[in-house]
Amino acid sequence: MRILGIESSCDETAAAVVEDGTRILSSSVASQLDVHQKYGGVVPELASREHVRAIVPIVREALTQANTRLEDLDAIAVTHGPGLVGSLLVGLTYAKALCFARNIPLIGVHHLEGHIRAALIGVEIEYPAMALVASGGHTHLFECLAEGEYRLEGRTRDDAAGEAYDKVAKLLGLGYPGGPVIDALAAKGNPRAVRFTSPKLKGNLSDFSFSGLKTAVLRWTEARRLRGSFDPATDPETIDMLASFQFTVIEELLNRAGNAAERIGAKALVISGGVASNRGLREAVKARNWQIPVYFPEPKWSTDNGVMIAVAGCSLYRQGRFSTLDLKAQANLSLAR
Amino acid sequence: MSLPEQTFVTASAEETIALGRQLSALLPEQGAVLLIGNLGAGKTTLVKGIAEARGAASLEEVSSPTFPLIHEYGDPPRVFHVDLYRLETEREVLTLGLDELLDRRALTLIEWGERFPALWPKATPRIQIDYADGDQRRITLSAG
Repeated sequence: MRILGIESSCDETAAAVVEDGTRILSSSVASQLDVHQKYGGVVPELASREHVRAIVPIVREALTQANTRLEDLDAIAVTHGPGLVGSLLVGLTYAKALCFARNIPLIGVHHLEGHIRAALIGVEIEYPAMALVASGGHTHLFECLAEGEYRLEGRTRDDAAGEAYDKVAKLLGLGYPGGPVIDALAAKGNPRAVRFTSPKLKGNLSDFSFSGLKTAVLRWTEARRLRGSFDPATDPETIDMLASFQFTVIEELLNRAGNAAERIGAKALVISGGVASNRGLREAVKARNWQIPVYFPEPKWSTDNGVMIAVAGCSLYRQGRFSTLDLKAQANLSLAR
Repeated sequence: MSLPEQTFVTASAEETIALGRQLSALLPEQGAVLLIGNLGAGKTTLVKGIAEARGAASLEEVSSPTFPLIHEYGDPPRVFHVDLYRLETEREVLTLGLDELLDRRALTLIEWGERFPALWPKATPRIQIDYADGDQRRITLSAG
């Protein structure tokens, strides 16, 4: 079974061909990072314009690399939400046109299911499992009840984890994206140097909050600036603060994910999304010595890509969950069905 | 819209949410409202109260739209939550198609909109959130 996956929900136009859900025949990503670095973030109209420009060559490249013709495909899987409607529409409309013209089945994929499946390529897990998806736009915990069946366990009440990294990096003039640069600096600092308090949330114990931490970093930075100018990339105090910031984010993510996994008796934990490639996070997971297996995607499949959509598409194909050609792009789309 | 300037003080996130519910009744049914305040001032927290009062979203459903730029709450949307933090130029803001949102029967709450003053009509209501003592916030509603 050969599936083409197309992703265009945010800042990447991506396509990939995957066979039987495990064999990656190709992966093609038009990284728009150059455009976004200039603007310090994702600019939607620029993004959708970039998607329009990239979609045809990216899909063609994915098919060529995989030595696959459209008529060899068993289905086309495409992200239909959540995300920026203008961006989603580019991938979705193109996928529908190909499906209509060549009479190929269409499979709509939830972006976050793509992230979760990206960590499980060629892996059979035991259910129930807990899945943490953390990126610039999302921080969600899902209970995976069975393959393709999810229950929302918790989510951020304010900022996404990756967004906290981006905002702290911008505050200090460290550039975009903030994750890799802070991760690298944090490795050199003392994570216990600055005591950031964990947020005390009422209600759902599995919800996250990163806004208070962001405010605390803002206040720390203002106080530091009062004592004179400094280069954040070399100032030892700033590096200690960043190590403490990263430590606090990781504790928040892993404490809530670990507790939720224990509460539901999870037999596996999945950690996915762009933040899953954070070195500090992976080390912290190792140090916890959890008694259940923890699955990460390969770093190259942790950010948005076509492989994760094709892999999720394979899973939906096996379940017979096809979409009709009136499938809509949805800014808000729930994964729990 | 004539709106007498009113100032409120809240001492916690819960109080800011409660104030959002109260402010909802003072805000227009449709059109733009600017939310002004520094990082972490509580703009998204205030939106939680407003969106809940409008029957558009639960408190948990409202989160920061910095990355996606626009969150829609309600089906059909009754509140649009816009965040221009990442945008640098008026041209970029114009490409977002906010005009279309402002014509809908929905309230459009805009964070970081004050950085593009030429884009909003003079009488656009604004809610300013300032840090006060400790965890307190001073929240001022005014008509432009």
